[in-house]
Amino acid sequence: MKVVLQNLTKIFPSRDKKAGGEVVAVNDFTFEIPDGKLIGLLGPSGCGKSTTLYMISGLQKPTSGKIFFGEDDVTTLATESRGIGLVFQNYALYPHMTVKQNILFPLENLKGKDKLTKTEMQERALEVAKLVQIDELMDRKPSELSGGQQQRVAIARALVKMPRVLLLDEPLSNLDARLRLQTREEIRRIQKETGITTIFVTHDQEEAMSISDMIVVMKLGVLQQIGKPQDVYDDPVNLFVAKFLGTPPINVLEGRIANGKICVGDAAIGEAAGVEDQDIYIGIRPEGFELDANGALECKLSNVEVMGRDVSIVSTHEASLNPVIRSIIDADNKIDLSAETVRFNIKPHKLFVFNKETEKRIYW
Amino acid sequence: MDKKNMKTMTAKDLQHVSAGARIMGILVKIVTYAFLITMALVVLFPFYWMIISSLKSEVEYRATIPTFWPQQFIWGNYGQAFKDGNLLQLFKNTAYVGIVSTFLSLVITVLSAFAFARLEFKGKDALFAALLATMMIPGELFTITNYITVNRLGWLNSFEALIIPFLVSVFYIYLLKQNFMQIPNELYLAAKVDGTSDIKYLWKVMIPLALPTLISITILKMMGAWNSYIWPKLVANREDMWLVTNGLRNAFTTAEGQANYPVQMAAVAIVSAPLFMVFLFLRKYIMAGVSRSGIKG
Amino acid sequence: MVESKHQWKAWLYLAPAIILLLVFTVWPIINTVAMAFQNGYNALAAKRGASFDIGIQNFIDVLGYGSFLKNLLNTMLLCVATVPLSTMLALLIAVALNSIKPMQKFLQTIFFLPYVTNSIAIGMVFAAMFNIIGLRGGGSMADTWGIVNNFLMLLGFEPINWINQGSDYWANIVVMVVYIVWNALPFKILILLGGLQSINKQYYDAARVDGTARRRVLTRITVPLLSPMLAYVIITGFIGGFKEYSSIVGIFGETMGPPAAAGRLNTMVGFIYDSLATSSQGKASAAALILFGIILVVTMINLQVSKKRVHY
Repeated sequence: MKVVLQNLTKIFPSRDKKAGGEVVAVNDFTFEIPDGKLIGLLGPSGCGKSTTLYMISGLQKPTSGKIFFGEDDVTTLATESRGIGLVFQNYALYPHMTVKQNILFPLENLKGKDKLTKTEMQERALEVAKLVQIDELMDRKPSELSGGQQQRVAIARALVKMPRVLLLDEPLSNLDARLRLQTREEIRRIQKETGITTIFVTHDQEEAMSISDMIVVMKLGVLQQIGKPQDVYDDPVNLFVAKFLGTPPINVLEGRIANGKICVGDAAIGEAAGVEDQDIYIGIRPEGFELDANGALECKLSNVEVMGRDVSIVSTHEASLNPVIRSIIDADNKIDLSAETVRFNIKPHKLFVFNKETEKRIYW
Repeated sequence: MDKKNMKTMTAKDLQHVSAGARIMGILVKIVTYAFLITMALVVLFPFYWMIISSLKSEVEYRATIPTFWPQQFIWGNYGQAFKDGNLLQLFKNTAYVGIVSTFLSLVITVLSAFAFARLEFKGKDALFAALLATMMIPGELFTITNYITVNRLGWLNSFEALIIPFLVSVFYIYLLKQNFMQIPNELYLAAKVDGTSDIKYLWKVMIPLALPTLISITILKMMGAWNSYIWPKLVANREDMWLVTNGLRNAFTTAEGQANYPVQMAAVAIVSAPLFMVFLFLRKYIMAGVSRSGIKG
Repeated sequence: MVESKHQWKAWLYLAPAIILLLVFTVWPIINTVAMAFQNGYNALAAKRGASFDIGIQNFIDVLGYGSFLKNLLNTMLLCVATVPLSTMLALLIAVALNSIKPMQKFLQTIFFLPYVTNSIAIGMVFAAMFNIIGLRGGGSMADTWGIVNNFLMLLGFEPINWINQGSDYWANIVVMVVYIVWNALPFKILILLGGLQSINKQYYDAARVDGTARRRVLTRITVPLLSPMLAYVIITGFIGGFKEYSSIVGIFGETMGPPAAAGRLNTMVGFIYDSLATSSQGKASAAALILFGIILVVTMINLQVSKKRVHY
């Protein structure tokens, strides 16, 4: 099921009642989520990602704008009529019911022509339990399960109604690091097997990048960029997106454009033909550095971290906004550790230029 | 194509259902409010009836067709109730018992809770467990022996008998101990390093921090004195030692329905008023105290 | 060094509490048991130096009294009638209160009002509401039938003699049940509403996503999640119910019954105090121990049931 958001806006009254005013949690979102894909809504806390998810679920009503599932306008439709499955951040499993009862619960609510017989329900429950691999745990109570198992039960409960759209709110945030890796693969697998359009919310860019077909980056209620993870990483539209994606994070330097050249201090580190002279921010991905004794950019060498295949060179530069510049190069390169400075050439496709005022990307 | 059409249909069906659900929701709201307001009126009715009855003339009160607002306000009923019921004496007694027992009880409770929460001594846990165990036994079990004890001590018809047997409440000690334990021990150790005495530390640090609990205890204890009936009746048969509840029930009850009911209702209103005042001003503390204690004052 | 200094200090702080508890709590427990097992114990006689045989005659006597069994029956009847009724009503009110926003605090305050009353004083108001004054003409005419009867007559019913001379036992019980329920509501509503407000809202969101019907949300989610609180109010309700006494004094006075039927509504606690008045402390102690035993058993049964029913 394709999901389309059209000028979706959500305004909350301000929490500070005396001051009055309002908070725009989601501001004029328009985008389309293709059928059968796994989509990550990504952004720092307060960016409106959860609000967006809850509006898609119908638990919150948009202030204006429309939501379509396929061709159906579901904007005013009640939650239960939308055919969605929702997995809550802390799972919201009913503590007094067994795993099986939790999974059966949504089915027992079905009315009219959707009503299932007892055996159909049991079969359906067992089927999803097998899918998420918890069929051994059916008679346990949620309190007897690990965090990862609870997560699976929550997904099973959301899937058992065969929803048109599956929504997950911060699905991995309550798990420890090891489980997180395992579970995100699991979510990917389940989504592939069922083919249900799945939207999840996360503040962890690595998580979103690793499993999503598409990511939607947001900041303070405003949609920043939408696309395949690699495309967004390689081609950020503004400084925020560039900084938000990537580990280690992008290096940002102050600089300017002079005569079609990108300059840091006096050093010209790249070409920007036809762009008029101005002050800029320069973003360089850690993998965008090449060691070169005659390189244009000279940095003070702080230290070198060997990570096996790669080497991470930590250096400083007075134009850098980050305390250090982190570059990752192939371990085959030989580095003189006693040297005071280190010189780099910058790979052009790993270098992004942003207007200093608007922080928007400058293209040429 | 066909399939798509079908889906649109269901969506429209569902839209219909959801409109129905919305009407249902409004209906539920109306029923909810109607139920709550009816129940609230039922709860309030006795208070309303008490007040209007207390202001009626005796003739109006006895009217076959009841009036819901006094035709004539007989404020004199209140004066007469005060006099007939000897309410001033009763109020004095009750206030004296309430204030003295609350004060002494607070001192004892604070000292014990402090010892349990902050000091180390042999047998602390066993002693505390033993105290908690006594909470399970109903008070009626103590009354018989306590009556004998008070009698032997020669305390019948004295304030000692009304105050001393109920000074210690294990529950209040427990409540305050829990509260004290939430205050970080480092504060106590820091005070020790500075050479602050225990009593000064208690007064300057612990008591201010535990103030809400202490206020709750104070109110519940006062309410207890105001509402106590059985024990005072046992140990104080002399009229000048009665507390309000005893005086109220006896002064206005005659065997054969010849009482002046409006005056009786006025007396009930006078007796109820102080608790209401306290409640209006200290609602928060009372409700918090009650929800933690589960005891009727 | 500091330790040992603290030792005596701690005992000093605890001294007033411990001394008072020893005299007025620990000693009574021992003495009550001792008195209960001395046949026909009487404090006055004991003071004069009389001695009593050890035995269970007090218990046999108490259980043999017709009045004791009647008082026990009254007590149980009031318990069985009022606890389920007040719990159900309190649950409904709490759920309703929890579902509304405007006026919630205001209504909550109103529902708490009966708590801050004197059960004897307001008992007198209830008595006045049920009281018939100036009955004459062979019971067909009266000055006032009482406001409750006025309402009944408005609805086309015959007036009922609730509490006056010649009133029916069951009419008396109905009045007591109404008063006790009215009195028991505030505490139960307070506890249940507190419980409801601490239930995670996400359970309800989850139920909404699944399109759960309102009644099902109540029976399958709210009530089970509230079960610890429900168990608590039911257990404290039973314990309070077995100690019922002063609400009856409030309505009927110390005669514990309507005129010419004194003692008809007496309860267990009333029986204990009546035994005291006749200076038969042995029997009073035995009755108190029986009351304690009953409360213990009922609480145990309640806990056992709730172990199966109360979730998590």
